[in-house]
Amino acid sequence: MRILAAIVAIAVGLLVLLGYFVPQAAVFQTLLLNWAIIFAAAAALVGMFNLINVHAEKIRKGDKNKLYSAVLIVGLIAAFLAALILKPQNAIVQTFLVNGIIVPVEASLMALLAISLLYAAARLLRRRADLMSAVFVAVAALLFLGSATLPFGDMPLFGSLLRPYISQVWALGGARGILIGVGLGALTAGLRVLLGVDRPYGGA
Amino acid sequence: MNLFDLIAGAISFLLTLMILSYFVGDNPLFKIAAYLFVGVASGYVAAVVFWQALYPKLFAPTAQVLFSGAYNEGLLLVVPWLGVALILMKGSPRLAGASQIPLAFLVGAGAAVILVGALTGTILPQVNAAINVFDFRNNDAGAFEMLTSGAVALVGAVASLTYFHFNARRKADGSTQRFAPIEWLAWIGRVFIAIALGAVFAGVYAAALTAFIERVSSLVIFVKTLLGMS
Repeated sequence: MRILAAIVAIAVGLLVLLGYFVPQAAVFQTLLLNWAIIFAAAAALVGMFNLINVHAEKIRKGDKNKLYSAVLIVGLIAAFLAALILKPQNAIVQTFLVNGIIVPVEASLMALLAISLLYAAARLLRRRADLMSAVFVAVAALLFLGSATLPFGDMPLFGSLLRPYISQVWALGGARGILIGVGLGALTAGLRVLLGVDRPYGGA
Repeated sequence: MNLFDLIAGAISFLLTLMILSYFVGDNPLFKIAAYLFVGVASGYVAAVVFWQALYPKLFAPTAQVLFSGAYNEGLLLVVPWLGVALILMKGSPRLAGASQIPLAFLVGAGAAVILVGALTGTILPQVNAAINVFDFRNNDAGAFEMLTSGAVALVGAVASLTYFHFNARRKADGSTQRFAPIEWLAWIGRVFIAIALGAVFAGVYAAALTAFIERVSSLVIFVKTLLGMS
């Protein structure tokens, strides 16, 4: 099974890759990618059932968080059935599930981040008071002040000169290095899978 | 405001208060809201996955083949159905091994897409952008300004990449050290990375603060609406 899985991964990967370079192979590439989308969707549904199983097990065992698990299961099944029967774009589903629950909770969690980040920045300076921490906090404070909307307009030096120079030249350099590094990492990871060195599907 | 909007607004109002109650510490109200969110979001996403992927790519074509009787056209649907059946076996500990095949299919296709995506979507555009800064024809800024800005950004990119270069020589005492010029360049890279992450932090903080203001504003608007003040 392990060898068969490795052969499938390498063969499918090479065929999909071939579709990018040989126009005649694009039809196979489209077919394989469509199948991959179907498998990913099925895997997502299996993941949902696994989530229900894990929390049902907690309720069965009388875990101290069983009330929360029950809330999660009820919410999950109700949302799934509602969106499955009425379709996700239905006005009622959008009003209750998306605008009533998902968006407000996401935005509120993001709002919590405002305080958490401020606390984390203060802790960083207290715990690791070195040059890099100082640069990090100073740049963050400077860019934040530079982009703040104030009653009298932009801050003279921050908004018009320092903020664009730091974000479009200095931060750009670092971000470009990180991005190229991430790209090279993804390239290497892809190549390792295609060469059969890494087998994250359980074949290692 | 109709009845549906009023009920959805009330749910949104309560959930916002429950999540923001975390400001006074971790508490059951926050946990209930968080668990409810995870459940509802998972259920909604699962339904979206069904309607956006499984239905148009698997169920609808299968139904079409079955109703039209053109079974030879349905041969291409055998593989996805088989794959889905094997993935569903993941639910059983005894049969879970069979799910390796469709997962391997998924990983192989994903690896190829990521490989090409990383090359054409990140590495080449970023390298091109680093080069194009020095292109006098496409730049309105003065030559000196362009050269200095381009040079700083280029040094930043190279130094940041060098920071992630971990080849080192083993010394006699067993410790390891990078080649001296690499070490210096890596130190400069750390400064650029700190600046880049500081800029990202400022952006995320601004977004978080905007979300906080929006939530507080939504609470006030809902109360005003209930009281008939708006």
